[in-house]
Amino acid sequence: MRALRAGRLLFAKDLRVLGRSRGLVAVLVGYPIIIAILLAIALSGGDRRPSVAFVNLDAASGRTVQVGDERLSIDDYSTRLEDDVDLVRLGPEQAEEALADGRVSAVLTVPRGFIADLQSGLKPPVLRLATNPRSPIEAQAIERNLESAVFRLNQALATAYVTQVLDLVDLIQDGGTVGIFGRSGTLLGLAQSDRELRRVQAQLRRDGRGALADRLEPLRDYISGVGSNLELAKPAAQAIASPIRLEIREGAPGREPLSALGIAGALVVGIGLVGVLLAAALLSAEREDHVLSRLGRGLAGAGTIVAQKALLAAIACTVVGFVLLGVVALTTSVTVGRWLLWLPALLLAGLASGAFGLLIGALARETRTALLAGLMLALPLAVIALIPGNDIAYWASALAGFGPAARTFQGLLVDPEVTASTYAGMGVLAAVALVYGVAAGVALGRRMHA
Amino acid sequence: MAGPLLHARGITCRYGGVEALAPTDLRIAAGERIALTGPNGAGKTTLLSVLAGVRRPDAGTVEWEPGARDHVGWVPQRPALYPRLTVRENLRLFAGLEGAGDPGGAAEALIARADLGRFADRRASALSTGTLQRLNLAIALAGAPSLLLLDEPTGTLSPDQRVRLWAWMADLVRQDDMALVFSTQSMDEAARNADRVLVLSGGRLLHDGPAGQLDEAGFMAMVGDHP
Repeated sequence: MRALRAGRLLFAKDLRVLGRSRGLVAVLVGYPIIIAILLAIALSGGDRRPSVAFVNLDAASGRTVQVGDERLSIDDYSTRLEDDVDLVRLGPEQAEEALADGRVSAVLTVPRGFIADLQSGLKPPVLRLATNPRSPIEAQAIERNLESAVFRLNQALATAYVTQVLDLVDLIQDGGTVGIFGRSGTLLGLAQSDRELRRVQAQLRRDGRGALADRLEPLRDYISGVGSNLELAKPAAQAIASPIRLEIREGAPGREPLSALGIAGALVVGIGLVGVLLAAALLSAEREDHVLSRLGRGLAGAGTIVAQKALLAAIACTVVGFVLLGVVALTTSVTVGRWLLWLPALLLAGLASGAFGLLIGALARETRTALLAGLMLALPLAVIALIPGNDIAYWASALAGFGPAARTFQGLLVDPEVTASTYAGMGVLAAVALVYGVAAGVALGRRMHA
Repeated sequence: MAGPLLHARGITCRYGGVEALAPTDLRIAAGERIALTGPNGAGKTTLLSVLAGVRRPDAGTVEWEPGARDHVGWVPQRPALYPRLTVRENLRLFAGLEGAGDPGGAAEALIARADLGRFADRRASALSTGTLQRLNLAIALAGAPSLLLLDEPTGTLSPDQRVRLWAWMADLVRQDDMALVFSTQSMDEAARNADRVLVLSGGRLLHDGPAGQLDEAGFMAMVGDHP
């Protein structure tokens, strides 16, 4: 009871002190929010076209491929890719240097024999994409862009090839002039062949050679069967050309695209910095005001002080988190739901970052040192938490709870259903909060009784 | 003078490998006024911190009269309070932390007792050194102490502020029959305001006797032999 009462009194005191320190609050809360918004804009980048070096090693062949009525070259191919990325035509060495210098985000190479492979159909032609390992987030975006571009190109080629095959089927059925793969000639066609056979059979029967005419009947059955099967092949070929079609509808105008990664990044950085800096400042201020020795005489234990400040930091983080989510919901096309799940997620993320800040505050000798140390540790850890698919970055950032927070937030934003990994992320956040809370309590207890 | 309030036996403190306080025994009776004196680094603050419960001794025990341990007022050398809170808010907060049933009423009583009425709604950061020290002391009174421990309470005060502070403390001791232990570097201050004077040097208790027994020359000879 006494600990609860002490915690409540110190909580109210901290609120009152913060209310009278508007400059400090502006720095502790305003600065992280500004950083978070800038990061969200940088990470979303929906309209930004990446710059990609284009290296054509098949240019010397000068070959083209005939697809239907069109004759395609590498230049036609690259022109189509320019719908998605800014292509910079370079030689192989120049492209490598440009990638290393960061002037381009990736290098797309057309290897020798690309057109020959495309034309022969014996093996699928391959494009090579090299991305900059130092920009994994951008690399992932470029991979997605080029995968999408290659898919659309493949679909266009497949459609052209299928159209060509269907024309050929019509030609086999109806006959006509052949012009495919560089060859030309006249084809009789199945229908005309059947008519010719019927005419020959009729003539033979008139000449009294009915037995010979009957022997031609299986040939007519064969022609009829082939014709029927070719009719069936037409819809099948159409289905192969476009097995699944995707209709894309443009979003409502006036809303900026903002990716889930951008929103999760903004939340992690915003909450991380608010929690760490606020908690570190609150605890180190107790020391700077010389009250720890007074409190440590049994008025408020280290555990009580740590718990009340962690709770205050968590509430501040939750408020900041909901404000950011509200801004996202009101100003972007991203749908933010699951508000009841966001509450524990934001509270736990705030508790974890707050506990991390309390440990810094308990170890630092003064508030300025605590804030500087908090900023130096929290900012890079929060940023590397946003590197996708990198376990080292995840576990490094998990030291301050940022990695699990990023995964939890992304899960709540994009997963069609809330998965076990989202709840596991919340569990890790609770564990991180507990570990740092206990460590901060031990460090503070040593300070109070040193 | 009443019976013993506390009995410390073999109190020993070390900072790293350095012995800050050699094994020390000390008895304090209710209502007694004790001055701890000695040069810088003598161990005065360390001994007071142990008695206040702020620092745990590396060895030794402190035995308290039943209930007395919960009624110790601690006045650290530097004011231990919240500068952004007003005088009234500081006193209300610490009265609440001490368990007062009516923290607001307790704060008003302390304001009246410390004659802080004119400054009650002023932030602590805006107080003069003397007024700040009175607030520092008033906070220590919030727990109705039977033992008041003061670490160099007049170290930063002007001569007139010292006189006023000691006059107020003399009244407090008389009214509440509380014991008083204070550290000072002034033999004169120790002789004027204490019944008993303890001399510490190099972490060792060199002298424990009635005030006036030891003069300035005797003190210098004592601490000179134990730098």
